[in-house]
Amino acid sequence: MMYILEKKKVEQVLSAWNKAFDVYAPQKVENYTQFLPFEKTKTVALNHAHNTRYPPKALFFPQSEIMLKYNSRLGRFEESGSKTKPMLIFGVRPCDAMAFSLMDTVFLSEDYVDPYWKAKREDSIVIGFGCSTPPQTCFCTTVGGAPFSHTGLDAILTDLDKAFSVQVLTNKAENLFKNLPPATEDQINEVKKIQRKATESMAPAFQTSGLKQKLDLIFESPYWETIAESCLGCGICTYLCPTCFCFDIVDEIQRKERIRNWDTCMFRIYSQEASGHNPRPSNKERTRQRLMHKYSYWLDHIGEIGCTGCGRCVCYCPVGLDIRAMLQTASEYESEVARA
Amino acid sequence: MHDNGHNPYKPMPMHVVRAYYESNDRSLKTLELVFDRKADQIEFFEKFNPGQFCQLSIFGKGEAPFGVASAAWEGDFVRFTIQKLGSFTQYAHTLQAGDPIGMRGPLGNGFPLEAWKGKTLVIIGGGCAFSTLYALTKHVHHPQNRPDYDQLIVVYGARTSGLCMYKHDIQSWHQRDDMQIHQAIDVPEEDWSHHVGYVPDVVKEVAPSPKNAVAIVCGPPIMTKFTLPVLVELGFSPESIFTSLEKRMKCGIGKCGRCNIGSKYICKDGPVFSLKELQELPDDI
Ligand SMILES: Cc1cc2nc3c(=O)[nH]c(=O)nc-3n(C[C@H](O)[C@H](O)[C@H](O)COP(=O)(O)OP(=O)(O)OC[C@H]3O[C@@H](n4cnc5c(N)ncnc54)[C@H](O)[C@@H]3O)c2cc1C
Ligand code: SF4
Ligand code: SF4
Ligand code: FES
Repeated sequence: MMYILEKKKVEQVLSAWNKAFDVYAPQKVENYTQFLPFEKTKTVALNHAHNTRYPPKALFFPQSEIMLKYNSRLGRFEESGSKTKPMLIFGVRPCDAMAFSLMDTVFLSEDYVDPYWKAKREDSIVIGFGCSTPPQTCFCTTVGGAPFSHTGLDAILTDLDKAFSVQVLTNKAENLFKNLPPATEDQINEVKKIQRKATESMAPAFQTSGLKQKLDLIFESPYWETIAESCLGCGICTYLCPTCFCFDIVDEIQRKERIRNWDTCMFRIYSQEASGHNPRPSNKERTRQRLMHKYSYWLDHIGEIGCTGCGRCVCYCPVGLDIRAMLQTASEYESEVARA
Repeated sequence: MHDNGHNPYKPMPMHVVRAYYESNDRSLKTLELVFDRKADQIEFFEKFNPGQFCQLSIFGKGEAPFGVASAAWEGDFVRFTIQKLGSFTQYAHTLQAGDPIGMRGPLGNGFPLEAWKGKTLVIIGGGCAFSTLYALTKHVHHPQNRPDYDQLIVVYGARTSGLCMYKHDIQSWHQRDDMQIHQAIDVPEEDWSHHVGYVPDVVKEVAPSPKNAVAIVCGPPIMTKFTLPVLVELGFSPESIFTSLEKRMKCGIGKCGRCNIGSKYICKDGPVFSLKELQELPDDI
């Protein structure tokens, strides 16, 4: 079912939802946008072509999260986190919604369910915002996504200038929108046109066929030295990545809390071992781990690439390292070796 | 699946029931823990398999992984032998009988005991990594389990006799007629009647036959590194050699990413791997 939501009504609609949900929406913060509680500012910024800088994964997997509170060193403890209302996230880009689905395969895997992710994610509603004019740094179509992909979404908006069309994708979302006017035949055709145009505007960013095999093959090659040469090891590419899920667990002694913090394979200390041995001693091995994890090991695990093409690592790397270029070089690297 | 009240990060409340030094230099201390809750105990022993490990938890000090050093039939306790290194293990060494401690587990795959049925077990260990091999040997010793395996051959090396763990028990193994035990120390000492030399050399000397046998090697990286070629030379195939990896770990349940090597998470897919499986992983160890 497709409905029409007038832009000037968005804030009114979100205010109404706020009674039953904790509503989050992108809002302007300095020169960027970020998902924040709608409650606080009552504003929504859906006029930016670019994605939010800070990934919405933080809503289900906060950068720092209390796991347990304890009273004494060895004694009793309580579990933290009592959520009151389900979350409704409004305006999530399809690449980030796809990332939620990828993260589900880690945190909700059959053997061990992560209770912190589950509590927030389980009854959440994700309303997507499709990309009519994908920026040059995006490459979702190269990695199995699309600017109007439905994966991980309950509904998806398309920008029709003065209004949004709302395609409802799940029963959960139907209730939210059923009082809005339905889209007309013309509007439905217009939406189709916008979506097709957006998808067609995105050329393949690099060669993915056989890429995993090539990466596995060149694991030990000098290729990695050259591509990681200028990397500062700052970890921004992993912190801002919507599919990076590594975390550290530490006890905060002052606050008597066991917490988890986002971690990154781009830091030396991450893989530093007891004996002084470090299997990933330089940026070369660490960059290799980042790329191999996303473009090889994820495929081993679930048969899908662990990158959604959101372009954050491309936009925000301080030295301009571009994962697309690195992967393109990798896919060509083997043929050079073969020729030599 | 072990979710301890649906939160696998929540330690089970335990108490130390026995604490004693394992080595004369006091660098190794054994803690035997009992469960505060009967339900935890039942669940633990339903799942436990030698070769698995647990995360011990001390609030304020954090968590650290340790291999289980006891077999289920020994009693309602779980044994760990802890080498004093940094902040967690130093604190663990101050614990005494009656002290509380947290524990998560059992974690990891453990030894593939089913697949080893009917085979000769060649157990080779050195240093404190012998702890899980001790659990394995104890498991096999049980009259109900012993007929499941052919010969039982143990090679155990320590730097000095003072560093030999589980001394009294291992002393009694020399009298058993259902196993061979070859103990070694690095340099000669008075009153030492067993082997003198490094573990790889002792293995060469003992020369266990690879026929219908598996070899399980756990020890310091240097010991493992030099023992593997000896086994290969004796004719053991990569499929019949097993070892346990000690990677840095945090969550222990395949979530935090820390122990990832190639397509594996060592905490969840390991820590026990065959040499063949290790050879198939990228050289990132
Ligand atoms: C599966 C597994 C089973 C283990 N079984 C045992 C066991 O049976 N007995 C035992 O004594 N130890 C065992 N270990 C090692 C034990 O976990 C570490 O010694 C412990 O985490 C050190 O904690 P710490 O706070 O005292 O040291 P830290 O303050 O963290 O560090 C002290 C020193 O130990 C090193 N270190 C830190 N973490 C580890 C680690 N995970 N492995 C090795 N060195 C580390 C540091 O680099 C430093 O040099 C095992 C490790 C794993 C992964
Ligand atoms: S690797 Fe880069 S482009 Fe891919 S999902 Fe992560 S941040 Fe986005
Ligand atoms: S953001 Fe760029 S410089 Fe920083 S770690 Fe990633 S690749 Fe290296
Ligand atoms: S220790 Fe967290 S994934 Fe293995």
